[in-house]
Amino acid sequence: MTEFTAGATARRTARPAVRTHRKRPFSARLRLATPSILRHAILVLGVILFFGPFVWMVLTSFKSSAEALSFPPTFLPKVWHFDNYTQIFSVAPFGTYYLNSTIVSVASTAGQIVTSLAAGFAFSRLKFRGSGVIFVILLAALLVPFEVVFTPLISLLSQFGWLNSYQGLIVPNVPSILGVFLFKQFFESFPTEIEDASRVDGAGVWRRMWSVVTPMATPMIGAFAVLSFVYNWNNFFFQFLAVTKTDFFTVPIGLAQLQSTNAAESFNLLMAGSTLAILPVFVVFIIFQKQIVSAMAGGLR
Amino acid sequence: MQSTVDSTSSTGATAVVPRPPRVRRRRTTEEQEGRAGYALIAPTTVLLAVFYLYPLVQTVGYSFTTWNPATGQTGDFVGLSNFTGLFQNDEFLRAAGNTGIYVLVVVPITMAIGLFFAALLAQPFRGRGVYRALLFVPYIAPIVGSALIFSFILSPLGGIVNGALTSLGVAPIGFLNSEPWALISVMVFSIWQGTGYAMIIFSAALTNIPQSYHEAATLDGAGPIRRFFSISLPLVVPTLGFLAITGVIGALQVFTQVYILTQGGPLQSTETILYFIYQQGFVFFHGGTASAAAVLLLIVGIVVSVIQLRVLNRRDTIELT
Repeated sequence: MTEFTAGATARRTARPAVRTHRKRPFSARLRLATPSILRHAILVLGVILFFGPFVWMVLTSFKSSAEALSFPPTFLPKVWHFDNYTQIFSVAPFGTYYLNSTIVSVASTAGQIVTSLAAGFAFSRLKFRGSGVIFVILLAALLVPFEVVFTPLISLLSQFGWLNSYQGLIVPNVPSILGVFLFKQFFESFPTEIEDASRVDGAGVWRRMWSVVTPMATPMIGAFAVLSFVYNWNNFFFQFLAVTKTDFFTVPIGLAQLQSTNAAESFNLLMAGSTLAILPVFVVFIIFQKQIVSAMAGGLR
Repeated sequence: MQSTVDSTSSTGATAVVPRPPRVRRRRTTEEQEGRAGYALIAPTTVLLAVFYLYPLVQTVGYSFTTWNPATGQTGDFVGLSNFTGLFQNDEFLRAAGNTGIYVLVVVPITMAIGLFFAALLAQPFRGRGVYRALLFVPYIAPIVGSALIFSFILSPLGGIVNGALTSLGVAPIGFLNSEPWALISVMVFSIWQGTGYAMIIFSAALTNIPQSYHEAATLDGAGPIRRFFSISLPLVVPTLGFLAITGVIGALQVFTQVYILTQGGPLQSTETILYFIYQQGFVFFHGGTASAAAVLLLIVGIVVSVIQLRVLNRRDTIELT
């Protein structure tokens, strides 16, 4: 970005010298521009393939069910059926799904932040017996995909009476080894002087964590919160197994259910539902694009 | 910490009184810190022990029994017969084979397309951020939602792909309910879904390459394609390794797109290992068989993860130097 603006200003100031370039024949100028034209052409094609389906989803969500299935397909809806979005709330309790998804995602995200920040702080800053061993066990647990343990986990939740409940959907999601790891790494990248100073001033462990370290960690908390929210909002597999009653369906479960009951004839409603499912993540992504990208790329180190 | 101790000991000869209480006070703060440390890691460790490690131990235990998840009865100890049974179970072998095909096709193609876009977007130009964001969207969208979009686009009824085929004079294809198209469709979906992630990771790796390398090569007369293959590609090899391994781990756990797009059909042609485990555990209530398959998945996952840690460690040293 900075390079781009620097290049632009350089070109502007150097205009008199560059004037000779204008005398280049058109074919030479075209040859110079070709890499850039080719690049844009490929990228536009890529965007059509990768983002086009979402455009198609939104357009279909406003069509009538007959038009959605018509051939040849229409691009823009002939009549805009905004009522598809009200209809979907009467076909299925989408309001409940939305509320459940919001409760589960927000609570899981909050839980992940608090527990990961606390554990990350403890592992990076406090000395206690066995901390090294416990941390290695946590890292080892990272090797075990959640998908391996789900059968006994669901039967454990059923013994707790936690199937079809908010606590059943939230509590098992709360521990985040990746989160602990990220916060530990983050705190270790900070010098300890400020904390040492506050310790000399008599601040206890809690003061140091909440008043000194946590404010410094705000960017990390933000990035982790965004990632965690997107992950929890999109989660399907665990919720699909932990919930059987419509009252506790989240948006992805509700959509899957809508697909299996309504089958093919109402693609317009399914696309309206998909739009509703994707919308929150899309909004979060537009607002926090930089944090998401940097957290994804930075989370590897 | 260290400096305060040193200063007290050096001045200790003259200042006689404060020394013993200071030592005692320090020990109590350390005890306090220790107790606080346990308290702070308790939520994560306890929850992990209950909802992760305990079920893991149970999975291993149940894999030797005829456990029934519906009744909760552990059943009989049957030794290794769940495991030997898996290798005689055509459905499991089919699922394992599908997962293998899936890994071999989806992982390299996803990485290749991701690297291609990352390379196109490596240099700053107008609109770069917009292109990158739009190419990345499939990765963060909920899989259920995007799989539904695909099931619509590929549908023989009103699906745009079959619409285009018909207008070209080709008969409509049942992409999601005929072999081998169903597996191909699921794999195309997964490639579409995962490319954005590969692109972002490769972008990070490409920006880490010092600009001077490219400038030097340009002065030596290397064109953009030559520069990519001689400079960029060798320097992103560690990232390639990392993505290959995370890709394999992800592919071992494929479930949602299979469930939404094909339900494992037609004739189990799109069934994956996780789908097999789900069906054994929650549809047929063969908890022992499900656990044995989960243990096998775990072993493969651990082997791959250990390789991953090795690659990551090596990657760190490369990045630091």
